[in-house]
Amino acid sequence: MIEFDDVALRYGDGPEILRNLSFTIAPGSFHFLTGPSGAGKTSLLKLLLLSLKPSRGHITMFGRDTGRLSQDQLLDMRRHIGIVFQEFRLLDHLTTFENVALPLRVQGQKEADYAENVAELLTWVGLGDRMHAHPPLLSGGEKQRAAIARAVIAKPDILLADEPTGNVDPDLSTRLLHLFAQLNRTGTTVIIATHERSLLEDFPTPRMVLSDGELIIE
Amino acid sequence: MSSGQSFIDQGDDDPRIRRPRRPTRMRVSRTASIVPHNSIAGRTLMLLIAIMTFLSCITLGGVVLVQKSAIAWSSEVGREVTIQVRPIEGQDMDSNLRASKSIAEAIPGVGAVRIMTEAESGKLLEPWLGAGLDLSLLSIPRLISVELSDPREFNADQLSENLATIKGATLDTHSAWRQQLNAMSGTMVLTGVLVLLLILVATILAVVFATRGTMASNRTIVDVLHFIGASNGFIAGEFQDRFLNIGLRGGAAGGAGAVLFFLVVGTISANYLPSEAGSQLSAFFGRFSLGWDGLLLLILVVPVIGGLTALTSRLTVRRFLTQIS
Repeated sequence: MIEFDDVALRYGDGPEILRNLSFTIAPGSFHFLTGPSGAGKTSLLKLLLLSLKPSRGHITMFGRDTGRLSQDQLLDMRRHIGIVFQEFRLLDHLTTFENVALPLRVQGQKEADYAENVAELLTWVGLGDRMHAHPPLLSGGEKQRAAIARAVIAKPDILLADEPTGNVDPDLSTRLLHLFAQLNRTGTTVIIATHERSLLEDFPTPRMVLSDGELIIE
Repeated sequence: MSSGQSFIDQGDDDPRIRRPRRPTRMRVSRTASIVPHNSIAGRTLMLLIAIMTFLSCITLGGVVLVQKSAIAWSSEVGREVTIQVRPIEGQDMDSNLRASKSIAEAIPGVGAVRIMTEAESGKLLEPWLGAGLDLSLLSIPRLISVELSDPREFNADQLSENLATIKGATLDTHSAWRQQLNAMSGTMVLTGVLVLLLILVATILAVVFATRGTMASNRTIVDVLHFIGASNGFIAGEFQDRFLNIGLRGGAAGGAGAVLFFLVVGTISANYLPSEAGSQLSAFFGRFSLGWDGLLLLILVVPVIGGLTALTSRLTVRRFLTQIS
């Protein structure tokens, strides 16, 4: 599903932050991406999200060389990828419900068709009574849950999450991880960037460890 | 996920997962705009478009008034010709006047023919010579007013030829004056159209700058939309809807202001101006009334400005998105 072939990344004329990345991620697999702060986890997630182009090497996704895709084809491919940002990136002028429903709206679905599902998911992540609130009125944990709900609502083929449980209590953290596992069981490839040891211990899955810009798969 | 299919797998038997309550039925609301509504840039642009629409409508209204007045003047002048009989020594003026009148009456297409009195002829010279002068000492030409019952049937050349038998009698069809009038009104209409085009160009430029400003200030939204797979066409459409809304609201305000302006000025010129000033205004602009067709034209400016705003913003957004991609 995802194949990196000798990929490197540098910002502008700076040094390579990521280098010699060669790995394959099978469809339906579950990975934790870990490593110390500043190791390049977020940059690798951005490469996986196709929002950055590698300065060297090739990335193949869904059987296609992403370097050869047009802008429209890249955007179309992104519809198959869900992303949870570390900084949430919710739109402040939309309600929680509208934020979560955004991927479905972008796909052209009507509100009447997706309203029940969005409400159900919001209730499941504990935001049932906050669906009409705007993000500035949500706590950090609520924002994070809304961001996760937005990433999974369209049942993406690949789910990327950058520290998805950083602002939630252990109970909800476990529930969210089980949501990711549940999505994974339905065929979604899940990659979670985290440095929380408890998560890594609870879920014995392959770990992608970034260190000094290079990747080791354990 | 297919429509109507439950998102959550309720059959998961992991005891650590707290079961959520079934959600209450979702109230379906009107979908909110992805581009924020209440921004300072949006309100400023709306005001700008209102002003531009007002100016466009005033210019267009002026063009319509001039055009209508020119047509009315031309048509009025075209329904009358004048025979001028100059006093010539040895010729009897009254006899020449009567003969000229008879010749005119015999021409097809001619309606009423009237010899203007000496007093009437003298009154026509008052604007140049002043009132109260004794004009009997001057040899001033006498005039015969010839109204045309059917201008298409009337043959000016034939009347002119027939009048040649009378010494001092000439025909004035006012053609030179009509040509000047047409040239003047044509120039004013052309000037108005050019001003209108300049206003539209200024509006387009304003929308381009406002759109770029809005895009820059909403970069976060654009990025999020891109990350969740929104196409450039979708994003451009969202911004286009926002700007169409601004264009229509600003245009409606400006258009309504212009219609009100013409109604108020028309009412004032018809009812409150002194008769002298009123008649001067009437001479230039008729009754200062645009009529229903003129008002309809002004109202049409509103959707044109709205559409232009939406189209300009869409193209600007597409260009912006291509640049940042």
